[in-house]
Amino acid sequence: MWKNFISLFKKDCQMMIAGKFFLLAAGSLLLYTLFINFGYIKFMKAELYHVYLYDPQGTQPQASDLIYPVISLEELDQVLATDTTGIGIDASSGTPNIILYFGSEKVDRHRADYARSLLYPDNGYTAKTVGVNTPELKQRKEITCELLFIEIVAVGFLGIASALFKEKQMGVIRVHAILPLKKSLFILSKIIIFLFADLIFAALMTVFNIGVADTIHILPAVLVQTAILSLIMALVGFGCTMLLNDFKQFSLAYLVIAIFAATPVFLAANTSIKMAWIGWHPFYQIYMGLKNAYFGTPVTDPVYYICFACGIAVLFIMIQIAFRKEMGKEG
Amino acid sequence: MIEVKNLTFSYGKDKQVLHGLDFTVEDGEIFGFLGPNGSGKSTTQKILTGILKGHGGKVSLFGKDIATAHTQDFFQKTGVLFEFPYLYSNLNAVDNLKYFSSFYPTEQLRDIEELLEVLEFKRDFLRKPVSSYSKGMRQRVSMARVLISNPKLLFLDEPTSGLDPSGAVLFRKIIEEERRKGTTVFLTTHNMLDADLLCDRVAFVTNGNIAALDTPKKLKEKNSRRRVKICYLYQDKREEKTIEAPELEAGIPFPHDEIISIHSEEPTLEDMFIQYTGRGLS
Repeated sequence: MWKNFISLFKKDCQMMIAGKFFLLAAGSLLLYTLFINFGYIKFMKAELYHVYLYDPQGTQPQASDLIYPVISLEELDQVLATDTTGIGIDASSGTPNIILYFGSEKVDRHRADYARSLLYPDNGYTAKTVGVNTPELKQRKEITCELLFIEIVAVGFLGIASALFKEKQMGVIRVHAILPLKKSLFILSKIIIFLFADLIFAALMTVFNIGVADTIHILPAVLVQTAILSLIMALVGFGCTMLLNDFKQFSLAYLVIAIFAATPVFLAANTSIKMAWIGWHPFYQIYMGLKNAYFGTPVTDPVYYICFACGIAVLFIMIQIAFRKEMGKEG
Repeated sequence: MIEVKNLTFSYGKDKQVLHGLDFTVEDGEIFGFLGPNGSGKSTTQKILTGILKGHGGKVSLFGKDIATAHTQDFFQKTGVLFEFPYLYSNLNAVDNLKYFSSFYPTEQLRDIEELLEVLEFKRDFLRKPVSSYSKGMRQRVSMARVLISNPKLLFLDEPTSGLDPSGAVLFRKIIEEERRKGTTVFLTTHNMLDADLLCDRVAFVTNGNIAALDTPKKLKEKNSRRRVKICYLYQDKREEKTIEAPELEAGIPFPHDEIISIHSEEPTLEDMFIQYTGRGLS
């Protein structure tokens, strides 16, 4: 059995190399890493709003260095006309008055509070910090988790489809029906290749963007969640390839999965939008499992793992049936 | 080698394609399974090779009931050539054969390059990807895939399809060579010349039933009108006459100067095919 599995695995690797799958994964890894390190983190560090102060008598000596001084009210009007999200402070009377263009009530309050906090930087900031992550590390973990989730849902899913559709078109799947090997090995070999590829991708992505020291503690839990997602996506991709006629139909199926499956997960997990049913969404559970793994609080509930193990087993059985049907089709 | 009794099969509830087939294939025999499109040939072959499940009736292979026959051991002893040459088009002939042969015990395997030489495969193409091969070359590699494991039972579906006449002659020679080695061949084809030249017995299948089963010779004889057409010269004129064969027993029963040719009016296998199946070849 091992000899047969190794033959299949070797051939699948050849197919993946020929299809430039590994190159594509390496390209994605590079792109995500560049984006996180040179785009996202810098963007998150940037000032939220610019604050401008007109204080001709110097009544606000504690004002933060982040405040831009202006020399006249005319200049203050001018900068606010250009930078419409900026906040102006007129302290010419000795009492600071906030001036801003109207946006929305909640945001405007936030902007005004932010301006005041810069005016009195050492005064009354009593919020308690929880967790051990620095703001930058927190941002790095959040974005790494999101991109890893997208990568596995999208690229892994499409990757298995492109490899399998080639074999389907060449008709070689039918040849495997009459070879002396267990047919389930054909499925297993493909799933394992994608699992390995996804695990390596997840490990490298985490090391490159979170750092070796922080990765060591969270990596095992991250890999467990990655494995669950990878197995599910590879099996769903395999099943769709067996049931659908060509890559065009598959792309449509992918759109449905992307829009109706992944979008509510991101909305529920990353915004304040509340959806009562989202707890039943398996992708939401995996996404939160992955996110919790990144933040050092991995899922420990055995029900979670039992449910996904059963789901994977059921998918595997369904795919075996679809695979046997494909082998029996006419040329 | 193969024993089939009352074989039935349906695709879904209402689409019965096999209505109780009965036949046997002896060890070392070349058995032709002939029929028009949609007659149930491929379905039968798929049941025999274990691709399709859920049939009715009794089928045994290598003396074992089909329910237990499709083991790894069965597939090690069997070779199946599909109607189309299914190969990895990004790999070359040698890599394809190395891959497919890797599932068989090493001691059972033939040498790849030697086998391709027997199949008159162009050496220049050995390391080129299959996507650059002609249909005939792909068919040769497919045949090599089937023969590489020295099977005892061969299922061949249209083996000479896509080959030029010399390629078809070569393939027939190779199939006959396999029979000499004791291999049993289950041949599915539309090509009546292949069937006539190769098969020990043929079965005509139509609408999921066997309409006739016998040796090609007997099938033709049974339906012969026992007539001969004689072409001759008489008084410097070329003439033609068709007479009943027994009339010849007493010699040529008409005046003539010279006999040019005598042609028996025996039907061809194709004529028999049309007669039994009610349909032409397509």
